[in-house]
Amino acid sequence: MNRGGRRPITLITGFLGSGKTTLLRRFLAAPEGRDTAVLVNEFGEVGLDHHLLQRLEEHTMLLGNGCVCCTLRDDLVQALKELLDRDQRGAIVPLARVLIETTGLADPAPMLFTVETDPVLQHHFRIAGVVVTVDAVNGQLHLDRHPEAGKQVTVADEIIVTKADLASPETVAALRTRLRALNPAARLTTAVLGDVDPARLRQPRDVGTLVPRLARTSLPVTPGAHSRHARETRSLALSFERPLDWIAFSVWLSMLLYAHGEDVLRVKGLLNVGAAGPVVLNGVQHIIHPPEHLERWPGDDQRSHLVFILHGIEPDDMVQSLQAFQHLLGASPTVDHQRALHL
Amino acid sequence: MCVLCWQFLSEGHWTEQMFEAEDNAVTGTAGSAREHARRRDRYQRTRILNQILRHYGLRLDDWHSRSYVLSDRKGSTVLVRDLGEIWPAAQQLARRRLDPLEPQFLAALGQPDAMREPGP
Repeated sequence: MNRGGRRPITLITGFLGSGKTTLLRRFLAAPEGRDTAVLVNEFGEVGLDHHLLQRLEEHTMLLGNGCVCCTLRDDLVQALKELLDRDQRGAIVPLARVLIETTGLADPAPMLFTVETDPVLQHHFRIAGVVVTVDAVNGQLHLDRHPEAGKQVTVADEIIVTKADLASPETVAALRTRLRALNPAARLTTAVLGDVDPARLRQPRDVGTLVPRLARTSLPVTPGAHSRHARETRSLALSFERPLDWIAFSVWLSMLLYAHGEDVLRVKGLLNVGAAGPVVLNGVQHIIHPPEHLERWPGDDQRSHLVFILHGIEPDDMVQSLQAFQHLLGASPTVDHQRALHL
Repeated sequence: MCVLCWQFLSEGHWTEQMFEAEDNAVTGTAGSAREHARRRDRYQRTRILNQILRHYGLRLDDWHSRSYVLSDRKGSTVLVRDLGEIWPAAQQLARRRLDPLEPQFLAALGQPDAMREPGP
């Protein structure tokens, strides 16, 4: 979809061999593939043959103050501007969307930052979401050994467990449980032989099912979730019965992110601000996507739901802070669940 | 928007942006209604920020609906554009870290007198 003239960009990330390319090939072979441009970091062993395929030579610019998530991907700026130029000159089929396949170790945050802050790109492109592929056979090993794998899962909107046909049902189930704990807000699907609905790549941020995911209360509080071990990663899911004052909430969140942004790995939520529809909130570390106001609620549950993934911040401290702010916010938080994560 | 670096790159702080479902309209309404809503939001934001900043001996005033003037009790002032600039400027003026998780700050915020408007 090309709403309001801004072309959606889906980032596809995941470890080497986790099935990113297979997923891309399936998508490009479908009718949607025709007006889709693809940017890849590496051509890989499995050749992709597509008329709008372009390679990114990773070239980054770290901004003056050295905040890592604000690294500008200069290569991405150039590649997207070139695509835009070709599109506007009519040199290619009108561009409906862009898929970006990143390297296995890439941090998606700088890519999100680049698209949403570049003075030209932010008017022509929008981030549709981040899709991560996790290999059912080696996923646990990658998560154990590489912190990058955990981070990719954390920032994803859609997690696709691939190669499920090559692993036992028990292995797949254990991996799914771990992924669900790492990122309760993401949509989690399992793919057999690369068979994934193209809509998963088109619309990874499916707000229709976001409420049940955010509100999921069946997850147990794991041992250690309340222990005071420093620098642990934990998820915290909150809900608010009464509508939130958006101005007060945004002041609180911006103050929190200024003080602790690097330790707020992820924030995702659907907020009732007293309007007809909810506000979708989506942030990765210091980067907050422009909040989107939906016309109507996707379901019957009209409470505000928020999920934080925190590194070294006590969930209890967050709850106490929101309680102290309740007179300004107009609502007080209820803890749906908190879990210690093993990144 | 990155709360640390946005000022070099972006056209507006995320707290002042709201994309409607149709994606391109910011806060939906047009013309004078939109300006009225913007001013009302600024008034509300200033009021809330003052309840926080008073704990640090600071005060914020709206300046022609374009910027804010942040001042301390000694009369030092800084002109800031929005929340992206308010927090670092407040931290510098107060000479201490502003942290919404700090128990002392939260205890002060919860007290009834914190709900009153700051004096001139």
